[in-house]
Amino acid sequence: MSNKIGGWAGKVLRVNLTTSSIVYEPIEQYYDYIGGMGIGYKILWDDHKDDIKATDAENIIVFSAGPLSGSGVICTGRTTITSRSPVIEKHLIADGHFGGHFSPAMKFAGFDAIAIEGKASRPVWLKIVDDKVTIEPADTLWGKGIFDTHAMIAQMMGPNAQVAAIGQAGENQVPLSVIMTQGGHSAGGHGSVMGSKNCKGIGIIGTGAVKIAASNEKMRALDDHILGIIGANNNGVVPSTPQSWAEYSAPISRWKSRPGLKWGAADQEIDLGEVPWNERNRIGFRTSMAESYIGVEYANKWMKRTGGCHSCPIRCFCELKVPELKSKYNRKSEHISNVCMGFLVPQYLMGTKNGTEAHAMAGVLGAQILDDYGIWCNYGLISHIFKFLKTNDMFKHLLPEDEYNSIPWALWDNQDPAFLIDFYRRIAFKEGEISHMADGLYDLIERWGLDGTNPALGYWDIHKESKTKVFNKKTNAAVHHASETAGQVGTLINVVFNRDAQCHSHINIVNSGLPHDMTAAIAERKWGEGAFDKVNWYTPINAAKVRFAKWSLVKNVLHDSLTLCNWMFPLLASPDKNRNYEGDSTIESQMFSLVTGIETSETELDFKAERVLHLHRALTILQMNESNMREEHDVLSDWVYDMDPDKNFGQEGTIKMDRADMQTSLDMFYEAFGWDIQTGAPTRATLDKFSLGFVADRLAARGLLPG
Amino acid sequence: MITRRGILKSSMGVAVGTVYHGTLISFLTGCGSDNSSPEVIEVMAGGLMVVNPVMCVSCRRCEIACSWNHEGDCSPTLARVKVERNMNFGPHGVQFDYQTQHGECGDGTVVPATCRQCEVCTQVCPQQAISTNPLTGAKIIDEERCVGCGYCADKCPQQVIKVVRSKMKAVKCDLCNGNPACAQVCPTGAIKFYPWEEAEAALEQYEKYTGLVS
Repeated sequence: MSNKIGGWAGKVLRVNLTTSSIVYEPIEQYYDYIGGMGIGYKILWDDHKDDIKATDAENIIVFSAGPLSGSGVICTGRTTITSRSPVIEKHLIADGHFGGHFSPAMKFAGFDAIAIEGKASRPVWLKIVDDKVTIEPADTLWGKGIFDTHAMIAQMMGPNAQVAAIGQAGENQVPLSVIMTQGGHSAGGHGSVMGSKNCKGIGIIGTGAVKIAASNEKMRALDDHILGIIGANNNGVVPSTPQSWAEYSAPISRWKSRPGLKWGAADQEIDLGEVPWNERNRIGFRTSMAESYIGVEYANKWMKRTGGCHSCPIRCFCELKVPELKSKYNRKSEHISNVCMGFLVPQYLMGTKNGTEAHAMAGVLGAQILDDYGIWCNYGLISHIFKFLKTNDMFKHLLPEDEYNSIPWALWDNQDPAFLIDFYRRIAFKEGEISHMADGLYDLIERWGLDGTNPALGYWDIHKESKTKVFNKKTNAAVHHASETAGQVGTLINVVFNRDAQCHSHINIVNSGLPHDMTAAIAERKWGEGAFDKVNWYTPINAAKVRFAKWSLVKNVLHDSLTLCNWMFPLLASPDKNRNYEGDSTIESQMFSLVTGIETSETELDFKAERVLHLHRALTILQMNESNMREEHDVLSDWVYDMDPDKNFGQEGTIKMDRADMQTSLDMFYEAFGWDIQTGAPTRATLDKFSLGFVADRLAARGLLPG
Repeated sequence: MITRRGILKSSMGVAVGTVYHGTLISFLTGCGSDNSSPEVIEVMAGGLMVVNPVMCVSCRRCEIACSWNHEGDCSPTLARVKVERNMNFGPHGVQFDYQTQHGECGDGTVVPATCRQCEVCTQVCPQQAISTNPLTGAKIIDEERCVGCGYCADKCPQQVIKVVRSKMKAVKCDLCNGNPACAQVCPTGAIKFYPWEEAEAALEQYEKYTGLVS
């Protein structure tokens, strides 16, 4: 190791738009919180104010990166955005994330994080060229979509500017709105926070460097080690179809490349063929996932190439060329770059079927509209709820008659994607009663009586309805790899955060594609016997599952702090038969040690990440002014327990959970974290153990510390 | 008369060290010239790095490996291959019709810039700090002679030479002494080393993406 400390850029930029103050903080005070999410939570803890709304000037929004971003280490192009969320009751803290190239540029400019507070008196944007930071007028940008905003800021700064911006939805303070950077990378939930500050976006040009403590030889050796272990997106380590080089295959794997799958819209058509695991110069073809979203026919027709974030060889994004977007729907561009929910959300809303043209077109058209307006999907909830209300003819009871009659329902009935043009416009510009679908779900439930209190809806209760996918009854967060993913493991992961759990640590092993027995064996070696149940066939809670859940959460927070992609890492499995398909969970600590020069073991790094998680829990308690997390936060919707009425918990073929088992699970989960078993709140002993005594003091002073 | 396209075709199989009159520089650099220009070009060993924009997936691992290898840190400024500059809006920057131009914000085609190992930098350097590595054919900078004046960076037809402020030295592609790091880490094989006799086809493909989309 050399003597220089690498990784961190050195400064946190603090901007107050009310006073136009621009100051720098040294990064050293955040080392114990790693970076990224850790910086965000620490700033929000330090500057906590009771009972403010997300859209109040006093609220702070933090764009942050960790020591790995910009270092060039694999999959480190992530940015964490932390702030109070207008989508959650009491506007609790939440974090959104995007990839792309924004945080590397921020680091090259010399900043680990940008924290914005206050409210400008007129529309502005923040211009950063290395250490020159200015607040610029945004009158000409206000009202523009995100795509034009990216271009206009880049035109003013230079084409290499990386831009994070909001669209009309954020400007209009639509709670379900995003902040997006170039290439279709968006972070959900905080667009309106920027809008409330009259801040259209941030443009950055960074010409400096992220320092690296280790030698090139060591960095390349680690890079090569990772390339021998990493799989496709979500760490699928086997191909999705049988191939000559592979011992195993599984349709669930996102290793989609195969003969006959094409980049058909590329100027030179490329048939992907087999992409064996050890062909390092072909890894970028491996995860061509378009067929999962738009069907193989349209994937082969529209796929131009894969895309994604800085330093990532996996390329989970789909760059599509769809002439009909211009010719049929009068869009400005026939190109769309996105992944996963970007395509799926409008398809969920339309209820289209994969393999049809309507489905494919709904995905690409909807993705382009959502991205330009900057609308967030709340991890699909807006679509699931819309579809349920429409299918059950409930909108006529919820909307004024004139408004109801003005909506082109026939387009939806005919599965015409043009419906999305009308619907999303109403959302982005807050047109009419239906636009409240983009409120926080707590507000929408109260407004429309979706909690079993509206007689016009037959006392329908959203928390009893599995189709609408509201998983947490208190936060109203969506299902996100929850009870359907390893039973109690996914369930416990889904109770901790205030929005949908964006944790993929568990899915990255559950969906590796290896035969179940091999996955179970990896899980058993890691967490103990019984850690991983058979799919849809669950056993009662045990200590191994609790260890699996805790480990997953800690790794998730670690990744969002480093900042490293949790949609790929951790890598517990590998495609290498010679390794017996085992991965390597120490890679993150190897990355951290080489880049920063601070030799740190996996255990030591996980300890820092766990500190950040305790801080999140404490901040949630402080913001709620409530310490009884068991009864006021960690509560599941009724359908989670009551679905499949003809089956019991533990029977083959159901993912239903059991109320008593879940309370036992919470007991064990709280104990594993050192939280009070009665309430689920961190104890003083635990906070002290993680050098968070100042957190304990503040909670104690408010009567929020257990015991 | 040797045509611009013909020059490299005719060079196939010709031994290293052969001397040509004509437009090899103009072909390789993209600089304008006529075919009767009097330059004398010596075809050297080695070749150059060329990107096929159809295959580039904009991960910038080439920039990263280049930067690690030469300077130890990570930065698009330090990297000798330039992806960031053209990545979002193509080689001509932000145009009014950016949606139809190249780049991540346009048609999705990314057009990185690489050094073509031409003679321009060697000729304009007032310090005579840039010379040809006889083993690789790369134009390399002697940092002891370089004073960071920036003449080479200013005149570089591809704009792939930068003066690094922290050391006030110009940096450029040296082909990693014959084992280019950028090509080793590319996840699609989009950037490759081409010996001179194979360069024409690669450059021809690349040049399709250097103009504005009409």
